[in-house]
Amino acid sequence: MSSPSPIPPPNDRRSSRASSNASQPGPGSSSNATSSLDVASEPSDLLVVGGPPSSPSPLALRASNSPSSKRRKSRVEKIPPDLHLLEYVSPCDSNLVCLICHAPFGKPVRLVCDHYFCRDCLDHAWEAQQDGHKTCPTCRNRVDVDREPLSVPRILENMLDELVVKCPNSRLGCEWSDQRANVQDHVMLYCEYTLVECGSYDCRFPVSQKDFHKGCLHYTVNCEHCHTSLMRRDLEEHQTTACPNKSTSCPHCATEVLRVELKAHIKDVCARAIVPCPGAIVGCTFVAERTEVWLHERSCPMATMAPHFREQQTRLERNEAKLEPLARRVVILEDGLSNITNMLYPANDNASSFPVTNPLDPNNADAFPPAPLVPTPDFRLPPASLHDSLREEVSRIATALTEVEGRASMMIINDGQRFKDELLHTNANINNMRVQLHWLMSTTLQQRTANSASNSTSGRAGSGATASTSAPSGSTTQGAARNRSGAAGPGVTGHSPFRRLSDSTRQDTKL
Amino acid sequence: MFATKRLGKELSKMQSGLPNGIELIKADDFKEWLLDIRVVDANPIYQGEVYRIKFMFSPNYPIEAPEVVFVQDESHPIPYHPHIYSNGIICLDLLDRTGWSPVHNVESVCISLQSMLTGNTKKERPPGDENFVRSNTQRPRDINFVFHDPHV
Ligand SMILES: [Zn+2]
Ligand SMILES: [Zn+2]
Ligand SMILES: [Zn+2]
Ligand SMILES: [Zn+2]
Ligand SMILES: [Zn+2]
Ligand SMILES: [Zn+2]
Ligand SMILES: [Zn+2]
Repeated sequence: MSSPSPIPPPNDRRSSRASSNASQPGPGSSSNATSSLDVASEPSDLLVVGGPPSSPSPLALRASNSPSSKRRKSRVEKIPPDLHLLEYVSPCDSNLVCLICHAPFGKPVRLVCDHYFCRDCLDHAWEAQQDGHKTCPTCRNRVDVDREPLSVPRILENMLDELVVKCPNSRLGCEWSDQRANVQDHVMLYCEYTLVECGSYDCRFPVSQKDFHKGCLHYTVNCEHCHTSLMRRDLEEHQTTACPNKSTSCPHCATEVLRVELKAHIKDVCARAIVPCPGAIVGCTFVAERTEVWLHERSCPMATMAPHFREQQTRLERNEAKLEPLARRVVILEDGLSNITNMLYPANDNASSFPVTNPLDPNNADAFPPAPLVPTPDFRLPPASLHDSLREEVSRIATALTEVEGRASMMIINDGQRFKDELLHTNANINNMRVQLHWLMSTTLQQRTANSASNSTSGRAGSGATASTSAPSGSTTQGAARNRSGAAGPGVTGHSPFRRLSDSTRQDTKL
Repeated sequence: MFATKRLGKELSKMQSGLPNGIELIKADDFKEWLLDIRVVDANPIYQGEVYRIKFMFSPNYPIEAPEVVFVQDESHPIPYHPHIYSNGIICLDLLDRTGWSPVHNVESVCISLQSMLTGNTKKERPPGDENFVRSNTQRPRDINFVFHDPHV
């Protein structure tokens, strides 16, 4: 039905492949191109590469014209393009993509399980399989190394050949792009940017095909603008794209500035550069060309606040920076303080290092050398801080002393109170006893007076008679009573035992 | 070179869209990437939490498996799972040297981890987690896990 046309139409892009294949047997094509070059260059000095013999390729023409090719046996070694590294112009059908490299198949192969991979990818994957036998990366089906991998249907290869790719030298400047089937020919024969060995006699550097005729450019020169030393080959590129002392035009406002100043120009000056509002640090989201930002700035409250905020920010940072050494100093001081505390109150379990001995005891002076007794100051401490911490310590001790003093006097007061209470109690008891004694005594006295009154009325009368001589008669009994009390000693109170009692109770309540 | 090429392709694909619950956080180079995953289906163990995964690639990726671990920070805990240690190391056969295949990729690994969490019903750590976490100094790729349960 669809019989292939015997002669490809003149516009068919695959025609060049066909022509290159014509010079050699087999459709293996791609990898054979290099060898065909070698074969072709062996017999004669004239370089003949690929292509139909009737139409010498431009490269061949140029190479034959170049004087160096006459002088020495020139071998142009070009590296065929790696299909894996090609850049495709448009994203391609996912069915044409290898699951290992995620790129369109380079040289596709098929496994029995009907999974497809690039030949190279499959080899890579199998290399890493340690256990000897090879499996399909997708389904882990064991691979029969004698039969597999199998070839793929022709249609798949055709579809791959029709994918449009860029020249692998596109980064060097080549703008060619065409079907993948032609890339080999383009790179090997036509591309001006393919690297070849320098034509100079003793130079082995690669050079672009288009620069081959310029002779060797592999010597060092100084850029006249910035005095950087670099290879002659790179000079032009350096001066157009990199040299800091060459003027370039600003991409925003087209002003001519030196390249070295371009950054500063865009950052601070360029009127057309897109910059944020200076209030951005406070939250303004306005971003526009600098001229517009200038207008905006006048009305933006945040832009007005920004310098103030920035100042605060720097102050904050400064303070934070200051804080750090201070914190370190606090740590040192704390260390020093705890050292001093240790010296002043050596812990009991530290008795060996701080022997509790009588320093006045001469016998001990030798047994414990004075060194450990002398507090060893921390040498990290500056004297001022040592002094400070000592002062702190002294005031601490003073407070402790006051506290102890207060506690002692409190104790004394409490004890005194208790003694006083006891004393009062004892006093009351004594009074009680005294009252009882009086009562007993007065009863005994009354009994005795009653007895003696009945026994010796005469004696009493006699004495009464003597008294009546010197005193009025009305006071006889009184005088007798006075006499009696004088004889009885404590008789003063004898008449009023109850009054005393009440007295003592009154005293009790008063205490 | 191989890894760079392949990861570049994966990256551009992921930037154009990722499955629900998977998010690319950081991919500044071709050595280390961060992704966030969360369990989309209702699973009370993982409700409302987002987990951060770190991928580390060798220059031989995808022939060599990437190292994949969960990382912890204030907002990203380590998910509870009988095959995820509390230091984030994951015991999953496809991340192991022998279980890895170059046809896997970052996205497929994320999907595997996501479904591994989705299907889990036990809020627990692997047996011996404490000991392992305390004593392990190896990198995940040098550990030889015994895969007791290939179905989880
Ligand atoms: Zn591949
Ligand atoms: Zn398979
Ligand atoms: Zn080209
Ligand atoms: Zn040269
Ligand atoms: Zn220069
Ligand atoms: Zn400008
Ligand atoms: Zn503003």
